[in-house]
Amino acid sequence: MLSSSFFFLAAAEDGADAGKAIALALGIGLGALGAGVGIGNIFGSMIQAVARQPELRGELTGIQWLGFALTEAVVFYGLIGGLLAYVLV
Amino acid sequence: MKRAVAFVALLALTLPSLAFAQSGEDETKFDPSHEWELQTWGPDLKIGPIDMSINKAVAYLILGMICSIALGLVLMRVRPGRGPNRRQALGETIYEVAQVQVAEQGLPTKAIGRWFPYVATLMIFIWVINMLGFIPLPLSDERWDIGGVEVPTFAIFAATSTLSVTLALALMTFVFTHVEGIRENGAVRYFKSWIPDVPKAMLPLIIPLEILGQFMRLISLSIRLYANMLAGHMLILTFIGLIFVLENVFLAIVSVPAATAFYLFEVVIVVSIQAYIFAALSAIYIGSAIEPEH
Repeated sequence: MLSSSFFFLAAAEDGADAGKAIALALGIGLGALGAGVGIGNIFGSMIQAVARQPELRGELTGIQWLGFALTEAVVFYGLIGGLLAYVLV
Repeated sequence: MKRAVAFVALLALTLPSLAFAQSGEDETKFDPSHEWELQTWGPDLKIGPIDMSINKAVAYLILGMICSIALGLVLMRVRPGRGPNRRQALGETIYEVAQVQVAEQGLPTKAIGRWFPYVATLMIFIWVINMLGFIPLPLSDERWDIGGVEVPTFAIFAATSTLSVTLALALMTFVFTHVEGIRENGAVRYFKSWIPDVPKAMLPLIIPLEILGQFMRLISLSIRLYANMLAGHMLILTFIGLIFVLENVFLAIVSVPAATAFYLFEVVIVVSIQAYIFAALSAIYIGSAIEPEH
């Protein structure tokens, strides 16, 4: 109880900075959450696909990396949004 | 081999940290975002609103251009008839990746002849400037003197971690996509092909979304490359910079290996993936404009 109220007081002094920091952290964190699930899904499906039909590996690898990069970019949209909030607001 | 790579990477990471230590005494605290402030070198060349002056990013771009031309000359211009050697094999591998993985993935067969050079150039050029971004080069804005001579400090900086560069590259793909789509299908048929088959009542909702989608491609293409390189450099610089921000040299035990791990991850995976993705998506966009689905 004491520590939480202390935190609140400390945050109230530079609330704007705290808000910016929270925006940055949330932007990256939530973006990474979604992309983590997505990337796990892609590689999991890739493993299953190769386990079922190993001869398709060569064709699937290109699609896999394409999907990986498209999903991974989601983190960076969050990062850019967070950085914009941090720098501009 | 592995040990040599790790050693070289460690050495490469300690070089910029020396520079930070040099500048950290008289200035304010180290801030990784200062690495992305571009200072003009030499005279201001402003033609109207267009700023043509040279800065760090331009220097990296020129260096990247020279390197990718040299790469092409060394690897692709091999005298035939002497049997394949290692150089030729490497050149052919790069060519095959550009042909099979990038061009044939997106472009229809009739357009490969015309657009293969563009997507292959994109792939090699982006790979080279991404890679140059992870080699410490004496091209930074900070100076230190060795024996009275002012020398730029060694630093890592990628031209692709500035938005202007990636936006220019993405704009090229954007313009080529629509020019090629109109040239191949005619303006009316091309713009009609944007609109999917939906009930008439949905059209006022769908058409703005489809037009917005075309511009979102531009944004996603440029932001993807930009943010990947920015985040990679920022991670490495922040881990090294922790030593100077918190002014504790023992943090190096933790932060230098962490920075090395991120450095290796970026160099081994991200650099190549991003170059491949940019070229492959350009090919897919141009290909889908040439042969719309309906």
